[in-house]
Amino acid sequence: MLAFAIALAVTAATPAATPTDPYLVQLVARARAGRLGEDRWWLRLGHWHRGLLGGWEAEPDGPDFYLSPRGKTDPQAELEATLAGFFAPEEKDPKVQHPQCRFPARLVFAVKRLGLDPSRLPRRECPRLAEWWERTRAQAVTLVFSSYYMNNPASAFGHTFLRLDRRIFAGPGEKLELIDLGVDYAATPDTSNALLYAFKGLAGLFRGDFSAKPYFYKVREYADFESRDLWEYELDLPPEAVAMLVAHVWELGSTWFHYFYLTENCSYEVLAALEAADPSLDLLDHVGKITIPADTVKALFRNPGLVKAVHYRPSARTVLERRVEGLRPGELEAVLALGDDPRAPLPAGLDDPGRARVLDAALDLVDVRAGKAIIRGDAAALARRQALLERRSAVALASPPLEVPPPPGGGPEHGHGSARAGLGGGASRQGGPFALLDWRLALHDLADPPAGFSPATQLEFLKTRVRWESRGAGGKLRLDEALLVSASSMTPLDRLDPRISFRVRAGAERVRDGGCSACVAGTFLAGGGGTVAAGPVALQVTGDLALQYAPDLQGLRGSGFRAGVGPTAVLRILGGGRAALLATAAWRWQPEARPDVTWDLSAVARLHLGSGSLFAEARRTPRADELLGGLYLFY
Amino acid sequence: MRTILALVALLAAGNASAAAYGSAGCGLGSMAFGSQPGGIQILAATTNGTSWNQTFGITSGTSNCGKTAFALQGTKVFIEGNKDALAKDAARGSGETIVALRNIASCQAPAEQVGSALQQNFGKLFPKADAPLEQVRDNVIHLLQSDKTLACTLG
Repeated sequence: MLAFAIALAVTAATPAATPTDPYLVQLVARARAGRLGEDRWWLRLGHWHRGLLGGWEAEPDGPDFYLSPRGKTDPQAELEATLAGFFAPEEKDPKVQHPQCRFPARLVFAVKRLGLDPSRLPRRECPRLAEWWERTRAQAVTLVFSSYYMNNPASAFGHTFLRLDRRIFAGPGEKLELIDLGVDYAATPDTSNALLYAFKGLAGLFRGDFSAKPYFYKVREYADFESRDLWEYELDLPPEAVAMLVAHVWELGSTWFHYFYLTENCSYEVLAALEAADPSLDLLDHVGKITIPADTVKALFRNPGLVKAVHYRPSARTVLERRVEGLRPGELEAVLALGDDPRAPLPAGLDDPGRARVLDAALDLVDVRAGKAIIRGDAAALARRQALLERRSAVALASPPLEVPPPPGGGPEHGHGSARAGLGGGASRQGGPFALLDWRLALHDLADPPAGFSPATQLEFLKTRVRWESRGAGGKLRLDEALLVSASSMTPLDRLDPRISFRVRAGAERVRDGGCSACVAGTFLAGGGGTVAAGPVALQVTGDLALQYAPDLQGLRGSGFRAGVGPTAVLRILGGGRAALLATAAWRWQPEARPDVTWDLSAVARLHLGSGSLFAEARRTPRADELLGGLYLFY
Repeated sequence: MRTILALVALLAAGNASAAAYGSAGCGLGSMAFGSQPGGIQILAATTNGTSWNQTFGITSGTSNCGKTAFALQGTKVFIEGNKDALAKDAARGSGETIVALRNIASCQAPAEQVGSALQQNFGKLFPKADAPLEQVRDNVIHLLQSDKTLACTLG
């Protein structure tokens, strides 16, 4: 904070600078002698990394981020151009900001690492920077994790952003977070075509920008509109680092990046900004090549003492569930009736607290069920909500604060590692004994340790299993499956907000029903249905459509294509956080293909031990019976 | 000490130059919302609309506010951005948006009292399901200004 103030508040009048200002010459010489161009802090401030060919390459892609024409690939040239920029004459175009104003964090760096004396710089006014500074008034920094959101592929792994905290307290322990400033790095998609979206997102063809909005927009967007729980990680940063972050975000705000969905994504840039603000932090080293938002949260915890406190902000859906738990016998019926008809009668003999309780739950129910319709201005949904609001306001009683405990498994920092590797062996009736290798890039399946994840959601990305069969001359290596994505939701059909369950699988799988002799077929499967749950037991039933292709398949009209339709049932029993049992039965009719009926029965058992899980699986299909087991390691 | 003074001087300078913009058009909200209903804005944020991001670009310098305008303008922005949540909290007479509103509007009365006033006047503040955002906003502002027992400080 203080260094920032020193660097910015240039008080003494100084002689006009020229390109050959002796002080500038002296600073440049000092920077060269000290090899400051490769100083770790400087490299972080410019986001330079070693490129494939060994040279430096910076990530920001907007040209305004560089003062040297070679700045993107030459940190030393950029440092010298920055120093010269600080001495530059006043900008003629009022829209263009002076380098002192554009790069306040670099200025602090020069003061601290190079011993630049700010009073020897020409004084430049920075009204826009001052506005930004005033607008943030940051006292602390919080990293916010917005939970997994299956309805949008871009958010399926979660999302992270920063909150610049003003730390204004309304009362003891009652922090006013809504008016803090959220700082977000996000892509600006320019297509709604799903395939194009995926391609452009993976290839870095979208533009990513930093933006700042009051935190209440974030809460309304994520917690209310999308019903995603928010996890808030309050960071213990020294005041200097908080000020540096505000200054550096200002620098980043003037540029843009190519947004890479898997690597240089929201979570990556958020960590990079934190590292630039506090060079003592080590964050990105703890994240793999693929930046998974939950991993970036874990990276915070790898810096001891960095996370000061964890807060949980429940989503609209979680709030509703908590309200329903607080109802007395018989009141749920009234809440459901009000959800359909806001003028439905309340139970006879209910006192005012009871009426408030029932109406409060009904209001949350309407918001969860029809939140999107309300936002879009759907007249019927709005009228229903308004009637309930008026009815609630007529009960002249303030609702007591609703305490919503965080889920027992905790936040993403308690989740197992995103990547999983497995080693095991087994035997099949047809192929004899085999060894198997299994690997998955991310993230979670329905039988993995549930802590830190949504227990109702599976999302797997790049899952591969191969086996080596010893039978035959020299044995042989076989691919079991190579899946691009495998997703499934087991959201129980409750009476509050019935949501369908679905499954999607895309990739290549071994055909085990005799449709071809041991071939691997490209597969796309999609299905929808429902889940019923009671305690640790959940049963999901879906109707599926599977499309498969392999040259050897005996498919439709003699082609290699075949289509199958039929039901799948999945039964899961969770043994707390320690064990899981998953049984699956699928049946499909494949018109005009051979065989015209196929089926698949399997059971998976897991025992979770710290960062690994023991697994055992049994599977039966028309042409394969096998048993296998082994060990998974999460990392 | 010198550095703290320097910081204060810097911020004061910022305010002085910003005052030239006047109170019209200052703050985040008046630019963010225009004549569109607030809900659509949240939708736009959800779908990552381009105009939204640009509006809240870090260099856009939208908060051209002097100190005196901050409470009123900040209150307006807050009501606009939280209309649906505020309506619910107002009907309930309590909640996070009421605590925040009380603080932004610099009300001396406790949050319980602000909540109670919003609840009692719910029908006036949120008269219809499709009441325009600006109307709701002005209704709430009017209540905060006219109910002297709340002792809010809105210009």
